[in-house]
Amino acid sequence: MPERKIVIQKPALTPFNVVAGIIVVVGLIITVIRFTQGLGATTNLSDYNPWGIWIGFDLLVGVALAAGGYVTSAACYIFGLKRFHSAVRPAILTGFLGYALVVLALHYDVGRPWRLPYPFIVQSGTTSLLFEVAACVALYLSVLFIEFTPAALEWLGLKRARSIVVKLTLVLTIFGVVLSTLHQSSLGALFLIAPSKMHPLWYSPYLALYFFVSSIVAGLSMVIFEGSLAHKHFHDKMDAEHLREADGVALSFAKAASWVLAGYFIIKVIGIAQTNAWGYLGTGYGLWFLVEMLGFVLLPCYFYAIGAREKNLKIIRRTAAWTVLGIVVNRFNVGLIAFNYHLPSSERYFPHWMEIGISVFVVTIGILAYKFIVTHMPILYAHPDYDAH
Amino acid sequence: MENAIYTLHDFMLRTESLTYILIVAALCGFIFFWRFLSERDDGREHLGADREEHPH
Repeated sequence: MPERKIVIQKPALTPFNVVAGIIVVVGLIITVIRFTQGLGATTNLSDYNPWGIWIGFDLLVGVALAAGGYVTSAACYIFGLKRFHSAVRPAILTGFLGYALVVLALHYDVGRPWRLPYPFIVQSGTTSLLFEVAACVALYLSVLFIEFTPAALEWLGLKRARSIVVKLTLVLTIFGVVLSTLHQSSLGALFLIAPSKMHPLWYSPYLALYFFVSSIVAGLSMVIFEGSLAHKHFHDKMDAEHLREADGVALSFAKAASWVLAGYFIIKVIGIAQTNAWGYLGTGYGLWFLVEMLGFVLLPCYFYAIGAREKNLKIIRRTAAWTVLGIVVNRFNVGLIAFNYHLPSSERYFPHWMEIGISVFVVTIGILAYKFIVTHMPILYAHPDYDAH
Repeated sequence: MENAIYTLHDFMLRTESLTYILIVAALCGFIFFWRFLSERDDGREHLGADREEHPH
């Protein structure tokens, strides 16, 4: 008797699809307004506040949360921790999509997006930190694209091309770590140019170091957070290796995140000691700073440690989500809240609803792309026709 | 007033002294924190454990 295959057709009009569809349509309409009527019609940006949430959220948060790619691939290929191998492809995919969306969001933010390649072809601008950020982001996006291609090539059945790319894995990983170290820190260093505009509790000569160290925490937390979401929604796509290694990845990354958060807390305290900013802790900004430091640094540090000690995945996954939120809070604080703190409230920046709309649109595009890729390509499972690399 | 800072020397002395004390305290604290983090490990998390497991 021939085998019958039962195909369950999923309904197209799920709540997720409807909400995503509405966001995409609204996002496209705002896109048309942005590129036909300019920044003035769609943003609350001004000469005082030239950087809004498209920089504070889409770029600063996007780049930090995309750090899982270099953190995981460095752990697996450079430090030889092969038990994290199954986590590399999802982390690289998240990193690639994160950086691609950062570049997409930049097209909305800069006044003349067609001039984005100018730093490379018209003038060198090598004295600017923005040049370094532009060069590193462009190069690292290319590196992440090449690192991601084995999955796409396996999906397309292009064995020869895939075997060539796989041979580049170690070189690309080293290149990715170098580029990430450079631009993650440079994004913090950008604010060093405006010491009088940044609140003293957030301004520090160590801003570059803070951004780099916190990006490691962001990467580790994002891998745990994304892994827990993938387990919930794409469990059927995961192979035995992925399911076997997932708990170990979460436990080890939680331990590492706890350790790095402890170090981050110490260097932040040392930063306050160096600038002698203790007196500001009793002010309103000081209370908000303490909320960030105690609530989003020390608290997750403690809960990650407890989760790793007790081997409690529930605590670890919730802490990862909390830490991701903490990274968002930190980048918002540096980019928006502590910046221009001296201005009267009438001059302070609050995003236009269309700015928020574009940010939500960009995140939604990322989620849809992730869903499509994970559903079609061997990200959460090893392709049976190929050896692991 | 004893705590007032009048010169750059006062400032540097105050901030650098405190920074050195904080760094030494943090380094000592890290030893205990590492013990707290690792005391329940089963000894398979050191670098190289994977190489023993995966000879390739």
